[in-house]
Amino acid sequence: MSFLQAGNIHKHYGGATALQGASLQVQAGEIHALVGENGAGKSTLARIIAGSTRAGQGRILIEGNPVTIASPVDAQRLGIGMIYQELDLFRHLTVAENLIIGNLEFRGGSMEAFCHPFLQQVGLGESARRMVHSLSIGQMQLVAIARALSMNARLILMDEPTSALFEDAAERLFALIAGLKQRGVAIVYVSHKMDEIFRLSDRITVLRDGRNTGTVETAHTSAAAVIRMMIGRDLEAGQRAPRPLGDVVLAVDGLSTAKLKSVSFELRRGEVLGIGGLVGSGRSELGAALFGMDRVSAGAIRRQGTLGLVPEDRRLQGLMMQMSVAENGTMAVLPRLQRWGFLRRGQELAEMRGVAGRLGLHCRSLHDPVATLSGGNQQKVLLGRWLLVNPDVLFLDDPARGIDVGAKQDIYRAIDALAREGKGVILVSSELPELVRCCDRILVLCEGRLTATFTAAEATQEKILAAATSTGGHA
Amino acid sequence: MPARFQSFAALTGIVILAIAISPAAADGSRVFLQTGNLTDILRQISLIGMIALAMTFVILTGGIDLSVGSILALATSIAAMCLTRMAPGMSYPAHIALAIAAAVAAAGLTGVLNGAVIATLRIQPFIVTLATMIGVRGLAKWITQNENIDIGFGRDVAASFAALFREKAIVIGSYALAAALFALVLARTVFGRHVRAIGDNEKAAQYAGLPIRRTKIWVYTISGLLSGFAGVLYAAENHQGNPNAGVAYELDAIAAVVIGGTPLSGGRGSIAGTIIGSLIMGVLTNMLRLKNVDSNLEMMIKAVIIVLAVAVQRERESA
Repeated sequence: MSFLQAGNIHKHYGGATALQGASLQVQAGEIHALVGENGAGKSTLARIIAGSTRAGQGRILIEGNPVTIASPVDAQRLGIGMIYQELDLFRHLTVAENLIIGNLEFRGGSMEAFCHPFLQQVGLGESARRMVHSLSIGQMQLVAIARALSMNARLILMDEPTSALFEDAAERLFALIAGLKQRGVAIVYVSHKMDEIFRLSDRITVLRDGRNTGTVETAHTSAAAVIRMMIGRDLEAGQRAPRPLGDVVLAVDGLSTAKLKSVSFELRRGEVLGIGGLVGSGRSELGAALFGMDRVSAGAIRRQGTLGLVPEDRRLQGLMMQMSVAENGTMAVLPRLQRWGFLRRGQELAEMRGVAGRLGLHCRSLHDPVATLSGGNQQKVLLGRWLLVNPDVLFLDDPARGIDVGAKQDIYRAIDALAREGKGVILVSSELPELVRCCDRILVLCEGRLTATFTAAEATQEKILAAATSTGGHA
Repeated sequence: MPARFQSFAALTGIVILAIAISPAAADGSRVFLQTGNLTDILRQISLIGMIALAMTFVILTGGIDLSVGSILALATSIAAMCLTRMAPGMSYPAHIALAIAAAVAAAGLTGVLNGAVIATLRIQPFIVTLATMIGVRGLAKWITQNENIDIGFGRDVAASFAALFREKAIVIGSYALAAALFALVLARTVFGRHVRAIGDNEKAAQYAGLPIRRTKIWVYTISGLLSGFAGVLYAAENHQGNPNAGVAYELDAIAAVVIGGTPLSGGRGSIAGTIIGSLIMGVLTNMLRLKNVDSNLEMMIKAVIIVLAVAVQRERESA
């Protein structure tokens, strides 16, 4: 019998339909991948099972018994835990406090003794007393995983768990998942990464537009077949024509900040420069330093023209969630849209429509709140904001993180088009294949230092990973 | 926007209730509906209504301004002192203009100070404006030496000022003009867009390169200016400069804003909502006073209304 049977799940957000009769069946001890495009309803379905969102209608059976999951506490009692993409941690509490809060398994006694085995399991054994806000995003994710483990869950839903992890941290996660499976714990693995899905999962359920398009045995299918089920068409090949390079548009010489140590490089017009490195290696801080948000202690930055920065975390650093798609998109170019002190709203919509077309942005109306869009479309709004600014140098901090294959293709295409227009593009990414695919050159950072530079031809995932971990066995 | 419809529905409900329970006048008509009564309501809400307009901008940025009542008191005092204790040898209009300018300028400067400290020292607005509330109240009492500055009823410049600026048309007209201006600025200008963006997500505003510091300083300056002008009208209406005026006005203004659907967390809200919020408070007060309801009971009823109004507007589960 299945551990979980969820059937005929419907969910509406206002007028928008997220799920229309979706279903999911998970066996005990199975790793079940849940995949689909932007807005297909994967995350919504996972959240309904975890009790953090209420279904409009539908039924859920656990071991054949009908249950009502109205809150995360209900889910915890039924042995269901979830690791959210936007980690639900208390930033001003310690790691251990985060583990025990709301945890029905913790029945008094020493907090640290309770937490230690779970933290040990995820490789955070020494961090029980650290404040969560002092951790990197990757480490926070490990805390969330330890939290689910400590709740003794029999089914753990993971929403894009590797989206912020570099490969070696992802490897640790895969080992964890394999260990959980051995102990009979079922995993629902929501992801866009085909290699992970095929490596980990036993079965794959595909959603499209809030409905199931099928559940397949991983061993008897292919990535191409799954992608076809997701998007209803074949994916284009990833080959690209060479791009001509122009003048140096950005020169960084001996740049040092609190997190960076003497970083030097040049960026030319028409070039896509990749930045590889572990989370916490200084790759995001490089953007903050270039953008003037972190204090530069030494070194020089010489730049022709303007700089744009698409930050790493679109919810916290990027978008105004209560404002509309158009308002978010035109946020950085408002002064140019005014006449006699008033905004020209027709002009605003016209410009936004142009950008939406270039990026393949899907939304019902440009007046919808940006919060109602899927992650991939939100990312396109953020990228669109900077396309409108039209800067000479654009720093993209992990722009394809946690978004589906279709949206990724659109973003890669936009990066290529920007470079062809003569922009200098810096692309930070956690995904090595993405760097190899998009970039002309790849710099690798490790603990704030530049440890290697590769050309597109010589870069391989192995070489980048070696350089990213070159100064020792850092997680 | 559903929140606005809800507050409009609440206003409609309260107006209907007010008509229904209104006492009858001698000719059998409803006292509540008499033109004189309706314009009285508008005049009564105009001062706090004006302050609430500026408070909406402050709250939209995610801030708060507790100093508005004290600034109003300072402005009443400066205007009255300027009119009664100075004899600059000017014509009446020039003297009146000078008094208003001095009062509003002092109020505006206080707002600049609020904004500059909040934006540059990055201290929480609640704390900064709490300090200003205390300090400016002290300043108003100090310059007046704890006395009301009375404005007479004769033919001198101060009396002329009071006669003109307590006219219903001037008071209500000022409020209407300010309301129209604020609605336009919020909905149709870059500044209005920046105000909402900063309140929605300040970190993102920083990454988008928005002028956060400048916008915040302006918002508190505008709040100071409006409170100052409300103080000028207060002095005329009450025939005195009063360093103890405006106590708890900040709370009434905040109440009008939140009843109108602007959450204290900022980022979302409208001037129309705030106007409706002010009207709800004004109609309610008028309705209860026409029924001779005890003023203490009136406060208790208002308390319930505030919580109810915000509870129905609470956002439904978000995506």
